[in-house]
Amino acid sequence: MTGPVAPPRRWDPLVRLTHWGVAAAIVVNGLITEEGSQWHVWVGLAAGALLALRLAWGLIGPPEARFTAFPPSPAAAVRHVRDILAGRRTSHRSHNPLGALMVYAVWATLAVVVGTGVAMTGFPPAPRAHEAGEVAGRPEANREAEGGEEEHEGEDEGIGEIHEVAANLLFVLAAVHLAGVAFETRRSGRQVVTAMLGGGDAPKDA
Amino acid sequence: MARSDHCPGDRGAAAVAAVVALQAIAAAFFLADATADIGASGATPHVVIEAIIALALVAGVVTGALQVRRMWREARRRRAALAVAAGALSEVMAQRFREWRLTPAEADVAVFALKGCDIAQICELRGSAAGTVRAQLTRVYDKAGVNSRAALASLFLEDLMSAPIIRPGRDDA
Repeated sequence: MTGPVAPPRRWDPLVRLTHWGVAAAIVVNGLITEEGSQWHVWVGLAAGALLALRLAWGLIGPPEARFTAFPPSPAAAVRHVRDILAGRRTSHRSHNPLGALMVYAVWATLAVVVGTGVAMTGFPPAPRAHEAGEVAGRPEANREAEGGEEEHEGEDEGIGEIHEVAANLLFVLAAVHLAGVAFETRRSGRQVVTAMLGGGDAPKDA
Repeated sequence: MARSDHCPGDRGAAAVAAVVALQAIAAAFFLADATADIGASGATPHVVIEAIIALALVAGVVTGALQVRRMWREARRRRAALAVAAGALSEVMAQRFREWRLTPAEADVAVFALKGCDIAQICELRGSAAGTVRAQLTRVYDKAGVNSRAALASLFLEDLMSAPIIRPGRDDA
């Protein structure tokens, strides 16, 4: 706090929306929808759209939402860890350097999950081959699936494996992210949380 | 002061951002669907319309995002200006209180009075008797050379308003 009127910080609405939208999509597709089902495919595509939107926002958004505000820098992350260990409080305009690494890790992993998902269903998205029979509206897709079954299976399995591993990694990253938020909240207050919530206090522009 | 943190421009930006996010998702769906239909049946009028919708949605996303950025920047500027004004006001108040040689107790009472508290509320806040507060307030008016709370307040308002009024080169034509 630099003075009595220093406003609390908050992320801009697009950052908040894409954050919670992607979080919801990860939970829904990881825990609720059936793998390869139509819902799973569309929810995944929505997550991809939100990711694309956030990446575009990283180029044209407000200063603290841009990539330039939180470059991926292991050196800065190490410095940040030293600050933490030394008990120094540092304030960051955007993500702190550790948080920045997490952001890029989540984006990359999410991109892999969405990419492999699209690769498996094809773009246009159709349900997975073993469920293709349920889709009455796309007979061509069925015929194709039958014709190319042999070589498709093996390739698909590999991609499916990547999809699953990346999705699990996404959950691990989410857990680490929550732990990081909990830690930072204990260290420097509820601000980390309120900055990402809709209600509460003013914006991230101290 | 819990009330001062909310800004109306903020909610507007959030609403536009929500529309932008929905449009981005819808654009992805239409792109997927149009691609599917092209694969299935070639460029029929149906597909062409879908493609146009997808393009329109993408254009909407871009202009909407730029709009969000504008609104967010504007809201931030307003908040910064407000913070500066608030800081300036408290500085002006402290300066005036020093000039008038208010005691700390009188300065407290003056601040509460300027914030619109009545005598009873000031008594409660300071834990003193009504007679004391009334006497302190009278001395504040005396030292400031005014005879009412409104006059006291307008002394500060005048300080804040004078700048824009005498700003040169501003005409209403």
